[in-house]
Amino acid sequence: MAGATRTPLIREDASRPEAVAGLAIAVAVALIAVGIASLFGLVGIDATLGGGSGMTAIGGVTTVTALGGLLVALGAAVIGLGVGSALGYVETEPSPNAGLVATVAFAGVWFVLGGLAASVAFDGVLAWLPAGAATGGAAFVTAAATREDVGSTLPAGAVAVVIGGTFLTGTIGPSWVWDLGFEQQASLTATFVVPAATIGCGLLAGWAAAKAYGGFGARGRRMGAYLLIYVNASAIIGVLFLLIAFTAVRGIPGLLTGATVAPGAGPTVSVLGVSVALPVSVPFVMNGVSLLNDFQGVLPAIVGTVWLVVGAVVFAVPLGVGAAVFLTEYAERGRLTQAVEIATNGLWSTPSIVFGLFGFTFLVPRFGGTKSLLSGMLTLGFMLLPLVLITSREALLAVPDEYRDASAALGVSKWHTIRSVVVPAALPGVVTGVILGVGRIAGETAPILLTMTGGTFVSGDRAADVIGGFAFTAQPPFVTNPELLRATTALPFQLYALITAGVGLGDNVSNPTEFQWATAFVLLLVVLSFYAVGIGARYYFRRRLRHE
Amino acid sequence: MSHTTDTRTDAAVTRWRRRLRAFREETSTAALVTVGTMTVALLASLVGFLLASPLTALPFAVFLLAAGVGWIRHQGLTARVVTFAMTVSTVLILLLITAFIAVESIPVIRYGTATAFGVPVPGLRLFTETRWDAVSEPIRYSMVPMIHGTVMVTAIATAVAAPLGVAAALFLSEIAPGPVREFVKPGVEILAGIPSIVYGFIGFTILSPWASDQFRTTGQGSYLFVGIVVGLMALPTVVSVAEDALSSVPESMKSGSLAMGTTDWQTMTSITLPAAFSGVSAAVLLGVGRAIGETMAATVMLRGVPQLTKPLYNVFYGQETLTSLIANNYGNAHGLQMDALFLAGVILFITVLAISIGSQYIEWRMHRKLGGEL
Repeated sequence: MAGATRTPLIREDASRPEAVAGLAIAVAVALIAVGIASLFGLVGIDATLGGGSGMTAIGGVTTVTALGGLLVALGAAVIGLGVGSALGYVETEPSPNAGLVATVAFAGVWFVLGGLAASVAFDGVLAWLPAGAATGGAAFVTAAATREDVGSTLPAGAVAVVIGGTFLTGTIGPSWVWDLGFEQQASLTATFVVPAATIGCGLLAGWAAAKAYGGFGARGRRMGAYLLIYVNASAIIGVLFLLIAFTAVRGIPGLLTGATVAPGAGPTVSVLGVSVALPVSVPFVMNGVSLLNDFQGVLPAIVGTVWLVVGAVVFAVPLGVGAAVFLTEYAERGRLTQAVEIATNGLWSTPSIVFGLFGFTFLVPRFGGTKSLLSGMLTLGFMLLPLVLITSREALLAVPDEYRDASAALGVSKWHTIRSVVVPAALPGVVTGVILGVGRIAGETAPILLTMTGGTFVSGDRAADVIGGFAFTAQPPFVTNPELLRATTALPFQLYALITAGVGLGDNVSNPTEFQWATAFVLLLVVLSFYAVGIGARYYFRRRLRHE
Repeated sequence: MSHTTDTRTDAAVTRWRRRLRAFREETSTAALVTVGTMTVALLASLVGFLLASPLTALPFAVFLLAAGVGWIRHQGLTARVVTFAMTVSTVLILLLITAFIAVESIPVIRYGTATAFGVPVPGLRLFTETRWDAVSEPIRYSMVPMIHGTVMVTAIATAVAAPLGVAAALFLSEIAPGPVREFVKPGVEILAGIPSIVYGFIGFTILSPWASDQFRTTGQGSYLFVGIVVGLMALPTVVSVAEDALSSVPESMKSGSLAMGTTDWQTMTSITLPAAFSGVSAAVLLGVGRAIGETMAATVMLRGVPQLTKPLYNVFYGQETLTSLIANNYGNAHGLQMDALFLAGVILFITVLAISIGSQYIEWRMHRKLGGEL
């Protein structure tokens, strides 16, 4: 589809204005990158360029001034591209006006710009409204009434020139502060305004330059839109990587504290009566918290999370898959299916804390009146149920009707068809859905906050031992398991408790910050490994389906 | 009007009777007894559980036994009954949630009675005053500060998630070349998988101190940054639902437009987006629902002081949302204060349920319009 507009003819025709537009796009992207870097404090805005401090290679230009210069140049280039096209120096195909989106965007930006300038200039006077209306109106008229080559470049370029000008002239210098005059005190400072404005100008001018690069008109707008959409997609992926990498870098030192690799270094595990000492010891995930430990860890939380997940899966998966089977195979479309659909989607969007409240008032009094592992399992099971139901139903619906018809034609009863044809065919989809759903609930904090959580620092021997806890009694309810009815901890709650514990933390662990980040990292690892397995399973099944 | 309703009801009842009779005729007595035992035992265990009776295990054991017998002797019928019970249980869970949290919130609604035009209106004072104080007299449980907080956070989150999410959905469904798509799509899914407490932790340790420093605020926690973080968390919901809507637009419509010589971007803006508009707005609505219900990031990053910001549009201070109120106070709340937390839960639940039903209605209309089957 896209190839239709990108003919080799245009490529070969790359003339000088197109090179200028391309350069402007590159500068805009670079400015956005610098803006983001200085927002995170990687580039100080009052840093001196051209060598270390004191060295005045280019006259001690600060970052603000340099950014201002670049912005003015970028704005001028963008305006030049538009004016050049309007005067007929460049062959373009502009539309009669800049289009609705551009017009609204420019009017909005200029309204804010004019209003802000007036508020800073006349402090406290209600001058911002007329000023903003004047500048916004001017931008609106320019974008709507002039031909696209001017209408879509002039307002954008002018923003960059004006803002760059304030940086260049020192109106907004490194120590600029504007007290907003709120009752709860807040100010805008240069360290925030300069990078933010640079990013905004970069986006706006880059958009306009991309339009010029495409020669305005339909092709130009496509160019501009694609630039913004690609920037957006890479920003989302960038944030994801940043989050994971940041947590990993901060968390790994804590995770590996005291870790050793040596034969027999680890704890002893017995498999089928044969005891083997593991060759790896990672105290953080193998210990609890106690005075005698050399290194403290979060083993009880990991065990708690595992049991929570197991309990929720045991409760929700049969229920969800069964309901999905009934809905797709037995029920006729009608009131019941509609009600179930509404209920499922309602459950899916119910806030997790509401599930917690429900567990607190419904489950906790019925399981001994105290917070317990069992209440937590069921609460998470309620949350998992709609996820399982929705994905299983989709998987069952995707099984072709030919399968059912062929089986029925052989004289197989309906239930046997479901059991031996439909469900096996839908199994990959169901399994994938369950894994992704589990990944989601494993990280939930709010529901278990009110239903199952106990202390912050739990010693290793208090890790839940559900299998060993079952016992039979003569009185109803005949089966008891104190382990299930006891409050325990889980990774997400452990992290929450570590955040809120504040000062008391230092008494229990030697390096609280490291301990926190390591907990966050372990939680992230657990959850993301579910996602990795789920996504991997989906690819595997899909590829196998294609080969068949 | 009522006449036709009556006839319709009559017809339905007759149909039911006929179906029931047919069912009775084609099923053996033994199977009927088994299924009947299962049903009665299951209902009894439900009642027992609701009454918190320790004897609940008894009828449940009977149910399991009957189901076991049924599974061996009449597998098809048993499977049908069991899956039906499972289906009903999903509706039942939603009803139970509604009933239980609503009942718990009644006392505080009574406590908040205020007179308007000489008529006492229960709960009115909770929404007309702005004071929340559970300790010192006069004790008041106003929901207004928390509703303000939730509205602020949700508005900022929507401003982040809606445009970025729709753009990313367009990218995934229409623009991205194959390999890029295979890379970005799981990335968005993983973004949804990062636990909210991890977002909250990073926000609390990195973002909040930074923001407090940048904007020279007193103390940490601002609606602005909670809103941005929550928007990031609502983003995957918007992307995946909007992408479904965009790719459900028939390919023939798009090809028809492209054959007229438009660019693919023109096709997107004038054919695909308008056709999928209702689906895309449903996606944004669901994203709003996610943002309203987001708990842990808000709890950790906000100040936890239930009051309005001054002035109301001061986004650089973050006090409390409905969700964080519950998470912050459940530990030391009892009596009326606990009931007030349940009221916050009821408000959240009703809002989000309304949003969910609304978005389902919009999606249903879109499917009907595009002639797809549903």
